[in-house]
Amino acid sequence: MTAVRTFFWQGIEVPFRAGESVAAALSGANIHGFGKDNAGSQTRYFCGIGACQCCLVRVDGRTTEACLEPVHAGMIVTALEDGDA
Amino acid sequence: MREADIIVVGGGPAGVSAAVEAAKSGLSVVLCEQRPALGGAIHRQPAEGAAPVAALPSLARRWQSLSAKLSASRVEVRTRRAFVGIDSTGAVLIDDRAAGKVEVRRPRALILACGAVERVRPRPGWHLPGVAAAGGLQVMLKEGRVPEGRVLLAGSGPLLLALAAQMTAAGNPPVAVVEEGDPVSRPLAATRLLTHPFILPDMAVLMMPVLLRRFLWRRGTRLTEITQSADMLSARLRAPDGREERFEVDRIGLHDGLRANDFGLTADPPSGLVILRAGDLREVLGAHAAEADGAEAGREAAARLEGRPSCGSRSAMRRHRALQHRLSRIFAPAQGATVLRDCPDETVICRCEGRTIGHLKEQLAGPDAVSARELRLNGRFGMGACQGRFCSEWALSLMSELRRSAGVPASPPDFAETGVCRWPLRPVALSSLANAGIYDDTRTERHIEGISA
Repeated sequence: MTAVRTFFWQGIEVPFRAGESVAAALSGANIHGFGKDNAGSQTRYFCGIGACQCCLVRVDGRTTEACLEPVHAGMIVTALEDGDA
Repeated sequence: MREADIIVVGGGPAGVSAAVEAAKSGLSVVLCEQRPALGGAIHRQPAEGAAPVAALPSLARRWQSLSAKLSASRVEVRTRRAFVGIDSTGAVLIDDRAAGKVEVRRPRALILACGAVERVRPRPGWHLPGVAAAGGLQVMLKEGRVPEGRVLLAGSGPLLLALAAQMTAAGNPPVAVVEEGDPVSRPLAATRLLTHPFILPDMAVLMMPVLLRRFLWRRGTRLTEITQSADMLSARLRAPDGREERFEVDRIGLHDGLRANDFGLTADPPSGLVILRAGDLREVLGAHAAEADGAEAGREAAARLEGRPSCGSRSAMRRHRALQHRLSRIFAPAQGATVLRDCPDETVICRCEGRTIGHLKEQLAGPDAVSARELRLNGRFGMGACQGRFCSEWALSLMSELRRSAGVPASPPDFAETGVCRWPLRPVALSSLANAGIYDDTRTERHIEGISA
């Protein structure tokens, strides 16, 4: 049996399947709100194709669309509002 | 590495068939796709270990056939590459998302095949977490994450039934599909679909779970409001007879049709570069049309670069256009066209900037006429990160609704009037722009040329 691969969302370990997006893995963990963006709106998965910019998160410090970003083991994913420090 | 003769953007049926056809000429072709895998919306592939979603009968084995042709071709495939635009010198800018740098490319031809985006009309609560575009839920489903819990699908069009059928097959049918049209009340229009026999098996697959009553199909019904209470979403529906009904669900998928993903593209590109549009980006006609249209674009690009006359007429598109026209009549809203100004003032139109219907009314209330450009620059509608992809259509149509109700007849201004037709066509990291450059190995070639000169 292969070991379960995980990444980190807000410091919590979340399992994922190889080849899926950060957003898909978060959805699998029943995480649907990704915190507030710079304009104060709730971010969340919406269009799924990188067009709406509603699912922006920080991946290893870089702002990117959760729906386009392939997830990797050990990846550090945080909400935009928690990445300013 | 040499510069490719032709760059194709978009790895769906239009882009792949364009690349395959163009490469037959012997010209060098690079195919760029923003995701890690090809397929596009229709042929999206499952993540490792996930069960694939069965294709509709008319599309069965189409992807296997296309990808076999691609493997046999000399097309170079580059994934995680997003098209950023064309600069004033005719350079094609491609964001290499994995490397975090923008590639500056100078092909002789560019074929754009970036598909369609969904239209999602603003409704109170559409911006809440747990509410997604129905196509967004379908992306997850195809990649192997079946939307869990109680799911409601609402809006209009065949995509809602397709997603409902796929969710049913995956073991979690939606609680209900809320369709604004009433296809059953238009038997004559439905009969005309018989002139397109290739989609009849698809329709049978879509209708089977409806006939088996695996989910409720509320026709002629409009979702008028979404509210959040504790962990649940509450959807309010209005039936044709005015009766109201509420559904408590975990997730909601909205869909009000598709539109070409041609945002920000200028009508008059810089000279010297052949630019062709293909598939849903050119005209939303579906996967079959996209594949044929892409092939046509690939042949045309090759012919133009080789100075041959391009003979393609794209006349096959007429049949697909007739089909789309019939489908849109069948799914026409039974309660008449929606009027945005009837939504409460606090309804969000532009999510990125948090701008509401009330904000728009305020901006238009002044004595001077407001232009589409001012709506964006002063009102911040369409000013945010999505660059107006999800709000401009609605902000502009509300503006003309309000003008009409004030006695000024006006059709909605064109998207181009907002003044956003320029690169970057999508957000790109400043660091990626700062790293922009020609390919390392091209630089090496130039360096070597410099030494030997």
